[in-house]
Amino acid sequence: MSTNRHPIEQEELMAYLDGELPPDQATEALSHLELCPECQTLAADFRGISQELMAWEVDSPEVGIPSEINVALRERLQTREAAKVGLARLGNRVMTSRWIWAGALAIVCVAVGLKLTLTSRNRNEDRSTAYPRMASIEKYLMPDRNAEIAVARSAAPEAISADAEILVFGWRGYETAIEGKNGFVCMVERSWMSPFNSAEFWNPKVRVPLCFNPAAARSILPLTIKRTEMVLAGLSKAQMIDSIKAGFDNGELPTPEPGAMCYMMSRAGYLNDAVGHYVPHLMFYFPPIDKSSWGADLPDSPVTLNPQFQGGPEPITEFVIPVGKWSDGTAAPVM
Amino acid sequence: MTSDEALMLEFQGGSRAAFEELFARYRKPLYGFFGRRLNNPERAEDLVQETFLAVIRAASRYEPRALVRTYLYGIALKLLAADRRKFLTNSTLGQSAPEPKTDRTPECVLWVRQAMEKLDSPDREILMLREYEQLSYSDIAELLRIPVNTVRSRLFRSRLALKGYLESQAKSNPALRASAGQPHPGRRGMQ
Repeated sequence: MSTNRHPIEQEELMAYLDGELPPDQATEALSHLELCPECQTLAADFRGISQELMAWEVDSPEVGIPSEINVALRERLQTREAAKVGLARLGNRVMTSRWIWAGALAIVCVAVGLKLTLTSRNRNEDRSTAYPRMASIEKYLMPDRNAEIAVARSAAPEAISADAEILVFGWRGYETAIEGKNGFVCMVERSWMSPFNSAEFWNPKVRVPLCFNPAAARSILPLTIKRTEMVLAGLSKAQMIDSIKAGFDNGELPTPEPGAMCYMMSRAGYLNDAVGHYVPHLMFYFPPIDKSSWGADLPDSPVTLNPQFQGGPEPITEFVIPVGKWSDGTAAPVM
Repeated sequence: MTSDEALMLEFQGGSRAAFEELFARYRKPLYGFFGRRLNNPERAEDLVQETFLAVIRAASRYEPRALVRTYLYGIALKLLAADRRKFLTNSTLGQSAPEPKTDRTPECVLWVRQAMEKLDSPDREILMLREYEQLSYSDIAELLRIPVNTVRSRLFRSRLALKGYLESQAKSNPALRASAGQPHPGRRGMQ
């Protein structure tokens, strides 16, 4: 294959199919692949090989935890419990200010170590954007929990969000800050809900307030939770994509329920560097359908196909319809 | 769903339930790992057990620097190497036990296995780690202690070799090719 005719090498094409190219190269590979029959054939061959290899399945006998493991497990847990009791007694006797400072220092060291670990795991993600890798976790946190609750609520009119469940993002992921009554769930999404090839996938400034209706809370919210867990676990993009695909394959992740939608009417949001807080809008989720069925992106149509999941591992089509007011009832700019 | 890493930390903190969840998640993948490399169900089962015993023994030393998945396959690779050394010591050097063809083994599986055996051992290991264990290039590089670029180039070479072999077989036996090419719902290779 000549590099004069093909802007990407065959090996790079393979890496693209494996989800191992950084976003800018992946975009280039995809653009070329769409136009090059020769590379399409090679891609089909690579996919065919993977599929044929999958014929070699190994049936595993269904067994519980073997007795040897149970014994080892019991011994380990008992030893640990004994050590804890011993430490507690020791602690009661000699708890002085020196120990307190030593403990605090240890916690700081662990926190710094975890931060470095999570940051370094994503070091190879993408060197070509302003946000080449995951920033430290605290950059994605909102320092004021009440402020995050308020921003989450601002995604929808008060008549909806006042009784909604509110989720806030913390060191361990999303947690319920306020229980809801009406089945809606409001939260502030972070940058990793962007397309995987987005240059702003790791932009720590991104804050996307939204309120899922009950159908979306059941069938779209799990995806947000899943991506967030994987990010916090330090998975690479390729691993996240693999896991999401597997999640849909094995039913762990649901497909959009009929009627799934969300409100995004906050003026406090920051969707990305390009559009800032954008305009107030509603979003509607479907299993993959053609955008023409909604007349999306046609001249003068108010309906737009959202690129969030296009070309991604999620089998979801998402339409956007701008609305004329922010959630507080004030007029919004015309698109 | 709780992440593997969070489960591992919970287990480290004394949670039996966390270990049981990790066992449930990884018993079958690990069995597949050993099963494909050893073609001996009993040894595969033993080594799965050895892997989890190693996890229990080393739990206090686990640090969340690597994914649990990579950590487990790292242990598995070491156990596999040790098992192979032991096996070679206890049998005639240079002769691996031939895997008998059984009536239950589909032709397409035999065909894939024969194709894999044509590859150089290091290339085959990289291909298997990618295709069956679905590890990233960087994870494979870390486990095998080779550069990421080497992983990529060897993987490319393996796939091209496999493609050539499968095509030559298909010419000589078109029915076999059609059988092997059937889709397998629920399983996924390349994107």
